[in-house]
Amino acid sequence: MAEPVLEVSGLVKHYPLTRGVLFRKQVGAVRAVDGVDFTLGRGETLGIVGESGCGKSTVARMLCNLERPTAGAIRYRGEDITRLSGRALKAVRRNIQMVFQDPYTSLNPRMTVGDIIGEPYEIHPEVAPKGDRRRRVRELLDVVGLDPEYANRYPHQFSGGQRQRIGIARALALRPEIVVADEPVSALDVSVQAQVINLMERLQDEFELSYVFIAHDLSIVRHISDRVGVMYLGRIVEIGTDEQIYDHPTHPYTQALLSAVPVPDPDARERRERILLPGDVPSPADIPSGCRFRTRCWKARERCALEVPPLAVPAEFRHDTGPAAHDSACHFAAELRVVPPGERDADGESSTSAY
Amino acid sequence: MLLEVRDLHVEFRTRDGVVHAVNGVTCEVDAGETLAVLGESGSGKSVTAQAVMGILDTPPGRIGGGQVLFRGTDLLTLKEEERRRIRGAEMAMIFQDALSALNPVMTVGDQLGEMFVVHRGMSRKAARAKAVELMDRVRIPAAGQRVGDYPHQFSGGMRQRIMIAMALALEPALIIADEPTTALDVTVQAQVMDLLAELQHEYGMGLVLITHDLGVVADVADRIAVMYAGRIVESAPVHDIYKAPAHPYTRGLLDSIPRLDRKGRELYAIKGLPPNLLAVPPGCAFHPRCPLARDVCRTDVPPPYEVSGTRTSACHFWKECLDGRAGS
Repeated sequence: MAEPVLEVSGLVKHYPLTRGVLFRKQVGAVRAVDGVDFTLGRGETLGIVGESGCGKSTVARMLCNLERPTAGAIRYRGEDITRLSGRALKAVRRNIQMVFQDPYTSLNPRMTVGDIIGEPYEIHPEVAPKGDRRRRVRELLDVVGLDPEYANRYPHQFSGGQRQRIGIARALALRPEIVVADEPVSALDVSVQAQVINLMERLQDEFELSYVFIAHDLSIVRHISDRVGVMYLGRIVEIGTDEQIYDHPTHPYTQALLSAVPVPDPDARERRERILLPGDVPSPADIPSGCRFRTRCWKARERCALEVPPLAVPAEFRHDTGPAAHDSACHFAAELRVVPPGERDADGESSTSAY
Repeated sequence: MLLEVRDLHVEFRTRDGVVHAVNGVTCEVDAGETLAVLGESGSGKSVTAQAVMGILDTPPGRIGGGQVLFRGTDLLTLKEEERRRIRGAEMAMIFQDALSALNPVMTVGDQLGEMFVVHRGMSRKAARAKAVELMDRVRIPAAGQRVGDYPHQFSGGMRQRIMIAMALALEPALIIADEPTTALDVTVQAQVMDLLAELQHEYGMGLVLITHDLGVVADVADRIAVMYAGRIVESAPVHDIYKAPAHPYTRGLLDSIPRLDRKGRELYAIKGLPPNLLAVPPGCAFHPRCPLARDVCRTDVPPPYEVSGTRTSACHFWKECLDGRAGS
């Protein structure tokens, strides 16, 4: 892997649950993020997938320092940014920028697009001297595929896809090294999603960006990511290259998730086997003991309730050099091939067989 | 035929002008059949559903013409009271957002039971028993204990099950589901879609599934109607459309799905933006975004050309599209 730009270890975010007004005492905690580790290489795209409430957005917010972790470290160029404050923190923030999900609420409706994109320069005037800002804003608009003449317009005059381009331009204003994108296309129409994905890929090459790309759409994540991490209830349960995760998943949750994604091919209907998980995701305020997935897992045994499975290459694959040998937090990890999203083989033979 | 919509027009009067949200939609659904209406936001798919159900807000909405034949009767000519009797009992709707579609200050048991009290004149007690039975049918665990709970006490997937239970309560012949699983997570979406398909099969209902998700459509639909700017641009059996689309818009949607063999390359993207309904382009509404567009497309609205006995395409050059000349 490329040299790491971001190293996350033991990241935890707990929100206390309190009772009482006068004597507030803590009665528990929502364990939104409960021990997350990963590294992000230079120029790499790490996709993070998971269902709502799994903590993926909280991770994104902590990476951008919008939220202080309860514990753990986020190292950027070897320095733990969770301990920084003041000037040092400000300098780091310049290099880690965020693109938000909702292009309708993440832009101030009373500011012109030019002011929105140029606002980062107010906070970091060292990046662009005052006289140069107008030119820079116009350049950024051009880079994201909008007419530079639009700088004087307001957000409501743009469509969803155009607004997301504005959000991306704002994130690029300070020439960051890392961009954290939290569901950047899920609010957009299907025909516009592809445009924004293409733009993000082009910008990555042009500005040598590293992406943390958070989404629930597994086929889009596969398209854009070099590596993918799957989150469940505040933890990464499996992480690896896109091929390892999509074609050789070993964690039962990943397998169920992949099998549940509707495949845009009616011929796949009969061939694929769906793994239907029983019930709902447990509350993050009341996480099951041992393996947190065991309450919905068809493989769960006694050991799963007692021991927390570590995120590591499972013992049975330790001497394997194939793609199944990657980090997976399951005591009974085993390969199970499901039709991964995005697979429409030319010969129509996308297998669903379990082996 | 269970439901036939013929040349339906719906318009909205707004401050900025008249919006033609639905512009001559024709489609049909038979008992036991699933018709998927596919379209992006603003394509008119939800407004069509509301007009069929008779729950369109008028004003600002207005039905400008057409027929909605349900078992041969034109619903648009019925009095409101007669429609109300059909709604719920004969045709029911499932909405996208269960939390706002359910009454927050009524227990789910009362909401489900109300259907039987109002339409069937049952006693409260008998209606309650029916509610529990329904909750069991849609596999809500411990239905007997949860019947007195309020909507906010259920998870998203469970609330959607309650919506389905409510739609099924009087065993209607037709169900219209407007993005029933869009707000749900994939694993829960799979549960809910499976349940819906199973119940449809069991009761032999006609199902109109409104969605923007090409994956969901491929999973459950028998036929597809693709909408763009208030019109159905292509209508075909599901296998035909995925194999060889006959309209450039459908082709563009299918081509823009990320696929394994395209990783690392640019995704195919339909150029431009969906049209502003206040200023729909003349001729074919898709022409500014279409790779096949020629002069005739800018002036003449394409009629639904017959591609085969079971499919139509509103494209002057559907033959070229079918041959694969519109794609990436």
